[in-house]
Amino acid sequence: MGIFFWITLVVFITTYAIIISEKIHRTVIAMAGAGLMVLLGIVTQEKAIEGIDFNTLGLLIGMMIIVGIAKHSGMFQYVAIWATKVGKGNPVKIYILLLTIVAVFSALLDNVTTVLLMIPVTFVVAHNLKIHPKPFLIGAILLANIGGTATLIGDPPNILIGSASGLTFNDFLVNLGPISVLVSIVTIALLVFIYRKQLVATAEAQATIAKFNPREALSDVKLLKKALFVLAIVLVGFFTHSVTHLEGATIALGGAALMLLLTMHDPEEHLKEVEWTTIFFFMGLFILVVALEEVGAIRMLAEGLLNLTGGNMTATTLSVLWGSAIFSAVIDNIPFVATMIPLVKDLGTIAGLPLAPIWWALALGADIGGNATLVGASANVVVSGIASKEGHGIGFWEYMKMALPLTFVALVMCTVYIFLRYLV
Amino acid sequence: MTEQEKYLVKNNMQDVVTTVNINATFREALQKMVDGRTNGVVVVDDEKYVKGILSSMDLIQYVVPDYLEEDKHLASFEAAEEFSVRIKEVADEPITKFMTKEVHTIKESHTLMEAATMLSEFKIRQIPVVDAEEKLVGYINRTDIKKAIARVLGIH
Repeated sequence: MGIFFWITLVVFITTYAIIISEKIHRTVIAMAGAGLMVLLGIVTQEKAIEGIDFNTLGLLIGMMIIVGIAKHSGMFQYVAIWATKVGKGNPVKIYILLLTIVAVFSALLDNVTTVLLMIPVTFVVAHNLKIHPKPFLIGAILLANIGGTATLIGDPPNILIGSASGLTFNDFLVNLGPISVLVSIVTIALLVFIYRKQLVATAEAQATIAKFNPREALSDVKLLKKALFVLAIVLVGFFTHSVTHLEGATIALGGAALMLLLTMHDPEEHLKEVEWTTIFFFMGLFILVVALEEVGAIRMLAEGLLNLTGGNMTATTLSVLWGSAIFSAVIDNIPFVATMIPLVKDLGTIAGLPLAPIWWALALGADIGGNATLVGASANVVVSGIASKEGHGIGFWEYMKMALPLTFVALVMCTVYIFLRYLV
Repeated sequence: MTEQEKYLVKNNMQDVVTTVNINATFREALQKMVDGRTNGVVVVDDEKYVKGILSSMDLIQYVVPDYLEEDKHLASFEAAEEFSVRIKEVADEPITKFMTKEVHTIKESHTLMEAATMLSEFKIRQIPVVDAEEKLVGYINRTDIKKAIARVLGIH
Protein backbone atom coordinates (compact mmCIF):
# COMPACT_ATOMS: atom_id res chain seq x y z
CA MET A 1 0.00 0.00 0.00
CA GLY A 2 1.65 3.18 -1.20
CA ILE A 3 1.98 6.53 0.45
CA PHE A 4 -0.71 7.90 -1.86
CA PHE A 5 -3.20 5.48 -0.39
CA TRP A 6 -2.63 6.71 3.14
CA ILE A 7 -2.58 10.40 2.17
CA THR A 8 -5.88 9.95 0.35
CA LEU A 9 -7.41 8.20 3.33
CA VAL A 10 -6.23 10.94 5.70
CA VAL A 11 -7.57 13.73 3.49
CA PHE A 12 -10.87 11.91 2.97
CA ILE A 13 -11.48 11.03 6.62
CA THR A 14 -10.42 14.48 7.83
CA THR A 15 -12.77 16.10 5.34
CA TYR A 16 -15.71 13.92 6.40
CA ALA A 17 -14.90 14.45 10.09
CA ILE A 18 -14.99 18.22 9.62
CA ILE A 19 -18.27 17.92 7.70
CA ILE A 20 -19.77 15.99 10.62
CA SER A 21 -18.36 18.38 13.23
CA GLU A 22 -19.89 21.36 11.36
CA LYS A 23 -16.92 23.52 12.38
CA ILE A 24 -16.55 24.71 8.79
CA HIS A 25 -19.40 24.95 6.28
CA ARG A 26 -19.74 21.56 4.60
CA THR A 27 -19.54 23.07 1.11
CA VAL A 28 -16.30 24.89 1.83
CA ILE A 29 -14.61 21.87 3.37
CA ALA A 30 -15.81 19.51 0.60
CA MET A 31 -14.41 21.88 -2.03
CA ALA A 32 -11.15 22.27 -0.12
CA GLY A 33 -10.78 18.49 0.28
CA ALA A 34 -11.54 17.92 -3.39
CA GLY A 35 -9.08 20.62 -4.41
CA LEU A 36 -6.40 19.01 -2.28
CA MET A 37 -6.98 15.61 -3.96
CA VAL A 38 -6.43 17.22 -7.36
CA LEU A 39 -3.44 19.34 -6.29
CA LEU A 40 -1.76 16.33 -4.67
CA GLY A 41 -2.09 14.51 -7.96
CA ILE A 42 -4.24 11.73 -6.50
CA VAL A 43 -6.95 12.55 -9.00
CA THR A 44 -6.04 14.00 -12.39
CA GLN A 45 -8.00 17.05 -13.48
CA GLU A 46 -9.65 15.02 -16.24
CA LYS A 47 -10.73 12.32 -13.78
CA ALA A 48 -12.04 14.96 -11.41
CA ILE A 49 -14.28 16.50 -14.07
CA GLU A 50 -15.37 13.04 -15.19
CA GLY A 51 -16.23 12.13 -11.62
CA ILE A 52 -18.70 14.98 -11.22
CA ASP A 53 -22.13 13.61 -12.05
CA PHE A 54 -23.57 16.49 -14.03
CA ASN A 55 -26.82 14.57 -14.47
CA THR A 56 -27.43 14.73 -10.71
CA LEU A 57 -26.47 18.41 -10.60
CA GLY A 58 -28.69 19.31 -13.56
CA LEU A 59 -31.64 17.47 -12.06
CA LEU A 60 -31.18 19.24 -8.73
CA ILE A 61 -30.77 22.68 -10.30
CA GLY A 62 -33.72 22.21 -12.65
CA MET A 63 -36.06 21.13 -9.86
CA MET A 64 -34.86 23.97 -7.62
CA ILE A 65 -35.70 26.53 -10.32
CA ILE A 66 -39.13 25.02 -11.05
CA VAL A 67 -40.16 24.75 -7.41
CA GLY A 68 -38.63 28.14 -6.60
CA ILE A 69 -41.00 29.78 -9.08
CA ALA A 70 -43.99 27.49 -8.43
CA LYS A 71 -44.03 28.12 -4.70
CA HIS A 72 -44.82 31.80 -5.26
CA SER A 73 -48.23 30.78 -6.59
CA GLY A 74 -49.23 29.57 -3.12
CA MET A 75 -50.29 26.17 -4.50
CA PHE A 76 -48.60 24.16 -1.79
CA GLN A 77 -50.05 26.32 0.98
CA TYR A 78 -53.46 26.08 -0.69
CA VAL A 79 -53.42 22.30 -0.48
CA ALA A 80 -52.39 22.38 3.17
CA ILE A 81 -55.05 24.89 4.19
CA TRP A 82 -57.61 22.98 2.15
CA ALA A 83 -56.72 19.80 4.08
CA THR A 84 -57.18 21.62 7.35
CA LYS A 85 -60.65 22.66 6.26
CA VAL A 86 -61.50 19.16 5.06
CA GLY A 87 -60.45 17.94 8.50
CA LYS A 88 -63.34 20.03 9.88
CA GLY A 89 -61.29 21.31 12.78
CA ASN A 90 -60.80 17.78 14.12
CA PRO A 91 -57.17 17.79 15.30
CA VAL A 92 -56.57 14.08 14.68
CA LYS A 93 -57.98 14.26 11.14
CA ILE A 94 -56.00 17.45 10.42
CA TYR A 95 -52.84 15.87 11.80
CA ILE A 96 -53.23 12.81 9.60
CA LEU A 97 -54.05 14.89 6.51
CA LEU A 98 -51.16 17.32 6.98
CA LEU A 99 -48.61 14.56 7.52
CA THR A 100 -49.95 12.72 4.48
CA ILE A 101 -49.51 15.88 2.42
CA VAL A 102 -45.95 16.25 3.71
CA ALA A 103 -45.23 12.69 2.56
CA VAL A 104 -46.79 13.22 -0.90
CA PHE A 105 -45.09 16.58 -1.49
CA SER A 106 -41.84 15.12 -0.29
CA ALA A 107 -42.06 12.37 -2.90
CA LEU A 108 -42.27 15.02 -5.62
CA LEU A 109 -40.10 17.76 -4.14
CA ASP A 110 -36.85 17.85 -2.25
CA ASN A 111 -37.36 17.10 1.47
CA VAL A 112 -35.96 20.43 2.61
CA THR A 113 -38.19 22.34 0.21
CA THR A 114 -41.16 20.37 1.49
CA VAL A 115 -40.59 21.21 5.14
CA LEU A 116 -39.81 24.85 4.31
CA LEU A 117 -43.22 25.06 2.63
CA MET A 118 -45.16 23.05 5.19
CA ILE A 119 -43.75 24.16 8.55
CA PRO A 120 -45.24 27.70 8.33
CA VAL A 121 -48.66 26.18 7.63
CA THR A 122 -48.38 23.76 10.52
CA PHE A 123 -47.49 26.63 12.88
CA VAL A 124 -50.58 28.52 11.80
CA VAL A 125 -52.81 25.46 12.11
CA ALA A 126 -51.43 24.51 15.53
CA HIS A 127 -51.91 28.07 16.81
CA ASN A 128 -55.51 28.09 15.61
CA LEU A 129 -56.18 24.72 17.23
CA LYS A 130 -54.40 25.90 20.40
CA ILE A 131 -52.21 22.80 20.21
CA HIS A 132 -48.48 22.74 20.83
CA PRO A 133 -46.75 22.71 17.41
CA LYS A 134 -44.20 20.07 18.43
CA PRO A 135 -46.18 16.97 17.35
CA PHE A 136 -46.59 18.62 13.95
CA LEU A 137 -42.89 19.51 13.69
CA ILE A 138 -41.63 16.05 14.61
CA GLY A 139 -44.24 14.40 12.41
CA ALA A 140 -43.27 16.61 9.46
CA ILE A 141 -39.59 15.64 9.76
CA LEU A 142 -40.38 11.93 9.85
CA LEU A 143 -42.87 11.96 6.99
CA ALA A 144 -40.70 14.22 4.81
CA ASN A 145 -37.92 11.65 4.92
CA ILE A 146 -40.24 8.66 4.51
CA GLY A 147 -42.20 10.24 1.64
CA GLY A 148 -38.98 11.30 -0.08
CA THR A 149 -37.98 7.65 -0.32
CA ALA A 150 -40.77 6.85 -2.78
CA THR A 151 -39.40 8.41 -5.96
CA LEU A 152 -36.19 9.10 -7.83
CA ILE A 153 -36.59 12.85 -7.29
CA GLY A 154 -37.84 12.68 -3.70
CA ASP A 155 -34.52 12.73 -1.88
CA PRO A 156 -30.98 13.63 -3.06
CA PRO A 157 -29.61 10.13 -2.25
CA ASN A 158 -32.21 8.70 -4.64
CA ILE A 159 -31.16 11.13 -7.36
CA LEU A 160 -27.55 10.00 -6.86
CA ILE A 161 -28.50 6.33 -6.97
CA GLY A 162 -30.80 6.77 -9.96
CA SER A 163 -28.16 8.57 -11.95
CA ALA A 164 -25.40 6.08 -11.15
CA SER A 165 -27.41 2.86 -11.48
CA GLY A 166 -29.47 3.66 -14.54
CA LEU A 167 -32.64 2.69 -12.66
CA THR A 168 -35.58 4.71 -13.95
CA PHE A 169 -38.16 6.92 -12.26
CA ASN A 170 -40.73 4.15 -12.64
CA ASP A 171 -38.32 1.58 -11.19
CA PHE A 172 -38.08 3.71 -8.07
CA LEU A 173 -41.82 4.23 -7.89
CA VAL A 174 -42.65 0.54 -8.30
CA ASN A 175 -39.96 -0.74 -5.94
CA LEU A 176 -39.77 1.95 -3.26
CA GLY A 177 -43.29 3.40 -3.55
CA PRO A 178 -45.15 0.53 -1.85
CA ILE A 179 -42.86 0.31 1.17
CA SER A 180 -42.81 4.09 1.49
CA VAL A 181 -46.62 4.10 1.63
CA LEU A 182 -46.69 1.28 4.18
CA VAL A 183 -44.11 2.91 6.43
CA SER A 184 -45.97 6.25 6.17
CA ILE A 185 -49.25 4.66 7.27
CA VAL A 186 -47.69 2.86 10.22
CA THR A 187 -45.66 5.90 11.30
CA ILE A 188 -48.65 8.25 11.17
CA ALA A 189 -50.76 5.73 13.10
CA LEU A 190 -48.11 5.43 15.80
CA LEU A 191 -47.68 9.23 15.99
CA VAL A 192 -51.44 9.71 16.41
CA PHE A 193 -51.40 7.12 19.18
CA ILE A 194 -48.40 8.70 20.92
CA TYR A 195 -49.80 12.24 20.74
CA ARG A 196 -53.47 11.32 21.25
CA LYS A 197 -53.70 13.36 24.47
CA GLN A 198 -52.31 16.50 22.84
CA LEU A 199 -54.41 16.32 19.69
CA VAL A 200 -57.58 17.82 21.18
CA ALA A 201 -59.11 21.21 20.45
CA THR A 202 -61.92 23.36 21.84
CA ALA A 203 -65.14 23.89 19.90
CA GLU A 204 -64.18 27.55 19.48
CA ALA A 205 -60.86 26.64 17.87
CA GLN A 206 -62.60 24.21 15.57
CA ALA A 207 -65.05 26.92 14.51
CA THR A 208 -62.16 29.23 13.54
CA ILE A 209 -60.69 26.55 11.30
CA ALA A 210 -64.08 25.92 9.70
CA LYS A 211 -64.05 29.54 8.51
CA PHE A 212 -60.77 29.11 6.60
CA ASN A 213 -61.00 30.01 2.95
CA PRO A 214 -58.21 28.11 1.19
CA ARG A 215 -58.41 30.39 -1.87
CA GLU A 216 -56.89 33.18 0.22
CA ALA A 217 -53.68 31.15 0.26
CA LEU A 218 -53.39 31.40 -3.52
CA SER A 219 -51.30 34.43 -4.29
CA ASP A 220 -51.12 34.19 -8.08
CA VAL A 221 -53.68 32.14 -10.00
CA LYS A 222 -52.07 32.81 -13.40
CA LEU A 223 -48.76 31.56 -12.11
CA LEU A 224 -50.53 28.59 -10.54
CA LYS A 225 -51.82 27.43 -13.93
CA LYS A 226 -48.42 27.78 -15.55
CA ALA A 227 -46.72 26.00 -12.66
CA LEU A 228 -49.18 23.10 -12.74
CA PHE A 229 -48.67 22.83 -16.49
CA VAL A 230 -44.88 22.68 -16.17
CA LEU A 231 -44.99 20.28 -13.22
CA ALA A 232 -47.31 18.00 -15.20
CA ILE A 233 -44.96 17.99 -18.18
CA VAL A 234 -41.96 17.29 -15.96
CA LEU A 235 -43.77 14.39 -14.28
CA VAL A 236 -44.80 12.93 -17.64
CA GLY A 237 -41.14 13.32 -18.64
CA PHE A 238 -40.07 11.27 -15.62
CA PHE A 239 -42.76 8.63 -16.08
CA THR A 240 -41.71 8.08 -19.69
CA HIS A 241 -37.94 8.49 -19.46
CA SER A 242 -37.34 4.76 -19.66
CA VAL A 243 -38.85 4.96 -23.16
CA THR A 244 -37.60 8.37 -24.28
CA HIS A 245 -34.13 7.86 -22.77
CA LEU A 246 -34.14 11.47 -21.63
CA GLU A 247 -31.92 11.88 -18.57
CA GLY A 248 -33.25 13.43 -15.35
CA ALA A 249 -31.18 16.56 -15.91
CA THR A 250 -32.63 17.04 -19.38
CA ILE A 251 -36.19 16.77 -18.08
CA ALA A 252 -35.69 19.02 -15.07
CA LEU A 253 -33.64 21.68 -16.85
CA GLY A 254 -36.04 21.57 -19.79
CA GLY A 255 -38.90 22.12 -17.34
CA ALA A 256 -36.99 24.98 -15.74
CA ALA A 257 -36.44 26.63 -19.12
CA LEU A 258 -40.14 26.22 -19.97
CA MET A 259 -41.12 27.70 -16.60
CA LEU A 260 -38.87 30.72 -17.15
CA LEU A 261 -40.22 31.14 -20.69
CA LEU A 262 -43.85 30.97 -19.59
CA THR A 263 -43.49 33.38 -16.67
CA MET A 264 -40.95 35.67 -18.35
CA HIS A 265 -39.56 36.34 -14.88
CA ASP A 266 -36.13 37.85 -14.50
CA PRO A 267 -33.89 34.75 -14.62
CA GLU A 268 -31.24 36.41 -12.50
CA GLU A 269 -33.51 36.45 -9.46
CA HIS A 270 -34.54 32.80 -9.84
CA LEU A 271 -31.09 31.50 -10.58
CA LYS A 272 -29.91 33.19 -7.41
CA GLU A 273 -32.51 31.17 -5.49
CA VAL A 274 -30.87 27.90 -6.56
CA GLU A 275 -29.09 26.48 -3.54
CA TRP A 276 -25.64 26.78 -5.01
CA THR A 277 -24.02 25.79 -1.73
CA THR A 278 -25.66 22.36 -2.09
CA ILE A 279 -24.59 22.04 -5.72
CA PHE A 280 -20.96 22.86 -4.91
CA PHE A 281 -21.09 20.48 -1.94
CA PHE A 282 -22.04 17.69 -4.36
CA MET A 283 -19.19 18.62 -6.73
CA GLY A 284 -16.68 18.44 -3.90
CA LEU A 285 -18.05 15.10 -2.73
CA PHE A 286 -17.92 13.55 -6.19
CA ILE A 287 -14.23 14.39 -6.50
CA LEU A 288 -13.44 13.16 -2.98
CA VAL A 289 -15.08 9.83 -3.78
CA VAL A 290 -13.25 9.55 -7.09
CA ALA A 291 -9.99 9.88 -5.16
CA LEU A 292 -11.00 7.05 -2.87
CA GLU A 293 -11.82 4.93 -5.92
CA GLU A 294 -8.56 5.80 -7.65
CA VAL A 295 -6.38 4.51 -4.82
CA GLY A 296 -8.45 1.33 -4.51
CA ALA A 297 -9.93 2.05 -1.09
CA ILE A 298 -13.54 1.58 -2.23
CA ARG A 299 -12.70 -1.79 -3.73
CA MET A 300 -11.09 -2.86 -0.46
CA LEU A 301 -14.19 -1.82 1.45
CA ALA A 302 -16.36 -3.79 -0.98
CA GLU A 303 -14.15 -6.85 -0.57
CA GLY A 304 -14.27 -6.41 3.18
CA LEU A 305 -18.05 -6.34 3.14
CA LEU A 306 -18.18 -9.44 0.93
CA ASN A 307 -15.77 -11.28 3.26
CA LEU A 308 -18.03 -10.40 6.16
CA THR A 309 -21.16 -11.65 4.45
CA GLY A 310 -19.48 -14.52 2.63
CA GLY A 311 -20.82 -13.12 -0.63
CA ASN A 312 -24.30 -14.21 0.45
CA MET A 313 -26.96 -12.08 -1.27
CA THR A 314 -29.35 -11.90 1.71
CA ALA A 315 -26.62 -11.05 4.20
CA THR A 316 -25.06 -8.47 1.88
CA THR A 317 -28.34 -6.72 1.07
CA LEU A 318 -29.51 -6.56 4.67
CA SER A 319 -26.07 -5.38 5.84
CA VAL A 320 -26.29 -2.55 3.32
CA LEU A 321 -29.79 -1.66 4.59
CA TRP A 322 -28.92 -1.57 8.28
CA GLY A 323 -25.39 -0.25 7.78
CA SER A 324 -26.74 2.62 5.69
CA ALA A 325 -29.40 3.35 8.27
CA ILE A 326 -26.91 3.51 11.13
CA PHE A 327 -24.44 5.65 9.18
CA SER A 328 -27.16 7.99 7.93
CA ALA A 329 -28.48 8.51 11.43
CA VAL A 330 -25.12 9.94 12.40
CA ILE A 331 -23.77 11.58 9.24
CA ASP A 332 -25.50 13.40 6.42
CA ASN A 333 -26.85 10.77 4.05
CA ILE A 334 -25.63 12.57 0.91
CA PRO A 335 -21.87 12.08 1.48
CA PHE A 336 -22.60 8.57 2.72
CA VAL A 337 -24.51 7.53 -0.38
CA ALA A 338 -21.97 9.23 -2.66
CA THR A 339 -19.31 6.95 -1.14
CA MET A 340 -21.49 3.84 -1.21
CA ILE A 341 -22.35 4.09 -4.93
CA PRO A 342 -18.97 2.93 -6.30
CA LEU A 343 -18.84 0.39 -3.50
CA VAL A 344 -22.14 -1.16 -4.57
CA LYS A 345 -20.95 -1.20 -8.19
CA ASP A 346 -17.85 -3.07 -7.02
CA LEU A 347 -20.04 -5.63 -5.25
CA GLY A 348 -21.50 -6.35 -8.67
CA THR A 349 -18.18 -6.69 -10.45
CA ILE A 350 -16.41 -8.69 -7.73
CA ALA A 351 -19.12 -11.11 -6.64
CA GLY A 352 -21.54 -10.85 -9.55
CA LEU A 353 -24.46 -10.14 -7.23
CA PRO A 354 -27.67 -8.75 -8.77
CA LEU A 355 -27.51 -5.08 -7.87
CA ALA A 356 -31.12 -3.84 -7.92
CA PRO A 357 -32.07 -5.13 -4.43
CA ILE A 358 -28.86 -3.66 -3.01
CA TRP A 359 -29.64 -0.26 -4.55
CA TRP A 360 -33.11 -0.36 -2.92
CA ALA A 361 -31.56 -1.36 0.40
CA LEU A 362 -29.12 1.54 0.15
CA ALA A 363 -31.88 4.04 -0.67
CA LEU A 364 -34.20 2.81 2.09
CA GLY A 365 -31.46 2.67 4.70
CA ALA A 366 -30.06 6.10 3.87
CA ASP A 367 -33.41 7.89 3.48
CA ILE A 368 -35.20 6.38 6.45
CA GLY A 369 -32.15 6.01 8.70
CA GLY A 370 -31.82 9.80 8.53
CA ASN A 371 -34.95 10.00 10.68
CA ALA A 372 -33.32 8.52 13.76
CA THR A 373 -31.56 11.65 15.01
CA LEU A 374 -32.00 15.39 14.72
CA VAL A 375 -28.84 15.63 12.58
CA GLY A 376 -29.54 12.60 10.38
CA ALA A 377 -30.93 14.51 7.40
CA SER A 378 -31.04 18.08 6.11
CA ALA A 379 -34.81 18.36 6.66
CA ASN A 380 -34.37 17.56 10.36
CA VAL A 381 -31.77 20.28 10.78
CA VAL A 382 -33.93 22.83 8.93
CA VAL A 383 -37.07 22.12 10.99
CA SER A 384 -35.15 22.22 14.24
CA GLY A 385 -33.68 25.59 13.17
CA ILE A 386 -37.09 27.10 12.43
CA ALA A 387 -38.55 25.63 15.61
CA SER A 388 -35.94 27.15 17.91
CA LYS A 389 -36.35 30.54 16.20
CA GLU A 390 -40.04 30.42 17.14
CA GLY A 391 -39.26 29.38 20.68
CA HIS A 392 -40.27 25.72 20.28
CA GLY A 393 -36.75 24.27 20.05
CA ILE A 394 -36.60 20.48 19.76
CA GLY A 395 -33.97 18.90 22.01
CA PHE A 396 -31.56 16.33 20.56
CA TRP A 397 -32.59 13.62 23.03
CA GLU A 398 -36.21 14.66 23.09
CA TYR A 399 -36.32 14.08 19.34
CA MET A 400 -34.40 10.84 19.49
CA LYS A 401 -36.64 9.37 22.18
CA MET A 402 -39.55 9.76 19.78
CA ALA A 403 -37.83 9.12 16.45
CA LEU A 404 -35.48 6.24 17.20
CA PRO A 405 -38.20 3.68 18.02
CA LEU A 406 -40.29 4.81 15.04
CA THR A 407 -37.24 4.56 12.75
CA PHE A 408 -36.52 1.11 14.11
CA VAL A 409 -40.08 -0.03 13.33
CA ALA A 410 -39.75 1.44 9.82
CA LEU A 411 -36.46 -0.37 9.21
CA VAL A 412 -37.88 -3.68 10.41
CA MET A 413 -40.69 -3.18 7.89
CA CYS A 414 -38.11 -2.45 5.17
CA THR A 415 -36.19 -5.60 6.11
CA VAL A 416 -39.29 -7.77 5.79
CA TYR A 417 -40.25 -6.04 2.53
CA ILE A 418 -36.83 -6.48 0.93
CA PHE A 419 -36.56 -10.04 2.15
CA LEU A 420 -39.98 -11.12 0.88
CA ARG A 421 -39.79 -9.22 -2.40
CA TYR A 422 -36.19 -9.75 -3.50
CA LEU A 423 -34.46 -12.40 -1.43
CA VAL A 424 -36.74 -15.47 -1.26
CA MET B 1 -22.09 82.82 9.80
CA THR B 2 -20.12 82.75 6.56
CA GLU B 3 -21.76 81.62 3.33
CA GLN B 4 -19.81 78.38 3.59
CA GLU B 5 -20.84 77.66 7.18
CA LYS B 6 -24.53 77.93 6.24
CA TYR B 7 -24.29 74.72 4.32
CA LEU B 8 -22.53 72.61 6.93
CA VAL B 9 -24.30 69.78 8.73
CA LYS B 10 -23.70 71.25 12.19
CA ASN B 11 -25.73 74.35 11.41
CA ASN B 12 -28.69 72.43 10.01
CA MET B 13 -28.95 69.40 12.28
CA GLN B 14 -31.13 68.64 15.29
CA ASP B 15 -29.04 68.45 18.41
CA VAL B 16 -31.60 66.75 20.60
CA VAL B 17 -31.53 63.05 19.72
CA THR B 18 -33.57 60.26 21.25
CA THR B 19 -31.06 57.55 22.01
CA VAL B 20 -31.29 54.11 23.48
CA ASN B 21 -28.49 52.16 25.08
CA ILE B 22 -27.10 49.13 23.24
CA ASN B 23 -28.06 46.90 26.19
CA ALA B 24 -31.74 47.87 26.02
CA THR B 25 -34.57 45.42 25.36
CA PHE B 26 -37.47 45.55 22.89
CA ARG B 27 -39.74 46.92 25.63
CA GLU B 28 -37.27 49.64 26.71
CA ALA B 29 -36.66 50.80 23.14
CA LEU B 30 -40.39 51.04 22.51
CA GLN B 31 -40.80 53.06 25.71
CA LYS B 32 -38.15 55.53 24.46
CA MET B 33 -39.95 55.84 21.13
CA VAL B 34 -43.31 56.47 22.79
CA ASP B 35 -41.81 58.98 25.25
CA GLY B 36 -39.80 60.78 22.56
CA ARG B 37 -42.77 60.75 20.13
CA THR B 38 -40.51 59.46 17.41
CA ASN B 39 -40.30 56.48 15.07
CA GLY B 40 -36.53 56.33 15.08
CA VAL B 41 -33.91 56.17 17.82
CA VAL B 42 -30.13 56.01 17.63
CA VAL B 43 -28.48 53.13 19.46
CA VAL B 44 -25.35 54.15 21.39
CA ASP B 45 -22.98 52.59 23.88
CA ASP B 46 -21.97 54.13 27.21
CA GLU B 47 -19.39 56.37 25.50
CA LYS B 48 -21.92 57.74 23.01
CA TYR B 49 -20.45 55.88 20.06
CA VAL B 50 -23.10 55.05 17.47
CA LYS B 51 -23.80 51.32 17.40
CA GLY B 52 -26.96 51.17 15.35
CA ILE B 53 -30.28 52.65 14.50
CA LEU B 54 -33.71 51.38 15.43
CA SER B 55 -36.96 52.33 13.76
CA SER B 56 -40.54 51.42 14.56
CA MET B 57 -40.44 49.32 11.38
CA ASP B 58 -37.62 47.23 12.89
CA LEU B 59 -39.87 46.55 15.89
CA ILE B 60 -42.84 45.68 13.68
CA GLN B 61 -40.77 43.38 11.51
CA TYR B 62 -39.46 41.59 14.56
CA VAL B 63 -42.97 40.97 15.83
CA VAL B 64 -43.81 39.23 12.54
CA PRO B 65 -42.50 35.66 12.87
CA ASP B 66 -40.13 34.44 10.16
CA TYR B 67 -42.54 31.76 9.02
CA LEU B 68 -45.13 34.40 8.10
CA GLU B 69 -42.57 36.62 6.43
CA GLU B 70 -41.69 33.68 4.17
CA ASP B 71 -45.36 33.10 3.38
CA LYS B 72 -47.23 36.37 3.56
CA HIS B 73 -50.53 34.87 2.48
CA LEU B 74 -50.55 32.65 5.51
CA ALA B 75 -50.90 35.67 7.78
CA SER B 76 -54.62 35.79 7.03
CA PHE B 77 -55.02 32.33 8.54
CA GLU B 78 -53.00 32.97 11.69
CA ALA B 79 -54.88 32.91 14.99
CA ALA B 80 -55.82 36.44 16.18
CA GLU B 81 -54.33 35.98 19.68
CA GLU B 82 -50.97 35.14 18.16
CA PHE B 83 -50.32 38.91 17.88
CA SER B 84 -50.13 39.38 21.63
CA VAL B 85 -48.51 36.00 22.24
CA ARG B 86 -45.71 36.94 19.88
CA ILE B 87 -45.23 40.43 21.36
CA LYS B 88 -44.92 38.99 24.87
CA GLU B 89 -42.37 36.51 23.55
CA VAL B 90 -40.12 39.20 22.11
CA ALA B 91 -40.61 41.94 24.74
CA ASP B 92 -37.46 41.13 26.68
CA GLU B 93 -35.21 40.33 23.75
CA PRO B 94 -32.14 42.58 23.32
CA ILE B 95 -32.40 45.19 20.56
CA THR B 96 -29.09 43.99 19.12
CA LYS B 97 -31.09 41.15 17.59
CA PHE B 98 -33.13 43.37 15.29
CA MET B 99 -31.62 46.85 15.11
CA THR B 100 -29.89 48.05 11.93
CA LYS B 101 -26.22 47.63 12.65
CA GLU B 102 -24.74 49.04 9.48
CA VAL B 103 -25.30 52.72 10.12
CA HIS B 104 -24.18 55.54 7.86
CA THR B 105 -23.04 58.46 9.99
CA ILE B 106 -21.86 61.90 8.94
CA LYS B 107 -19.43 64.27 10.68
CA GLU B 108 -20.87 67.59 11.83
CA SER B 109 -18.15 69.44 9.89
CA HIS B 110 -19.26 67.92 6.58
CA THR B 111 -21.50 69.57 4.02
CA LEU B 112 -25.23 69.46 3.39
CA MET B 113 -24.57 68.23 -0.13
CA GLU B 114 -22.89 65.15 1.32
CA ALA B 115 -25.79 64.58 3.72
CA ALA B 116 -28.29 64.98 0.86
CA THR B 117 -26.30 62.55 -1.28
CA MET B 118 -26.30 59.95 1.49
CA LEU B 119 -30.03 60.30 2.09
CA SER B 120 -30.82 59.87 -1.58
CA GLU B 121 -28.26 57.16 -2.30
CA PHE B 122 -29.18 54.91 0.61
CA LYS B 123 -32.86 55.88 0.68
CA ILE B 124 -32.72 56.42 4.43
CA ARG B 125 -34.71 58.84 6.56
CA GLN B 126 -32.09 60.17 8.90
CA ILE B 127 -28.35 60.16 9.50
CA PRO B 128 -26.79 60.29 12.95
CA VAL B 129 -24.27 63.15 13.17
CA VAL B 130 -20.97 62.59 14.99
CA ASP B 131 -18.11 64.82 16.09
CA ALA B 132 -14.42 64.44 15.21
CA GLU B 133 -14.14 61.60 17.74
CA GLU B 134 -17.10 59.73 16.20
CA LYS B 135 -19.35 60.46 19.19
CA LEU B 136 -23.03 61.21 18.62
CA VAL B 137 -23.92 64.92 18.68
CA GLY B 138 -27.17 65.08 16.70
CA TYR B 139 -28.98 63.87 13.63
CA ILE B 140 -30.09 65.24 10.31
CA ASN B 141 -33.19 64.03 8.50
CA ARG B 142 -35.16 64.64 5.30
CA THR B 143 -37.08 67.51 6.88
CA ASP B 144 -33.86 69.33 7.80
CA ILE B 145 -32.59 69.08 4.22
CA LYS B 146 -35.98 70.18 2.88
CA LYS B 147 -35.88 73.24 5.13
CA ALA B 148 -32.36 74.07 3.96
CA ILE B 149 -33.48 73.82 0.33
CA ALA B 150 -36.43 76.11 1.11
CA ARG B 151 -34.09 78.68 2.69
CA VAL B 152 -31.97 78.80 -0.44
CA LEU B 153 -35.07 79.57 -2.47
CA GLY B 154 -36.31 82.12 0.07
CA ILE B 155 -39.42 80.04 0.87
CA HIS B 156 -40.54 80.40 4.46
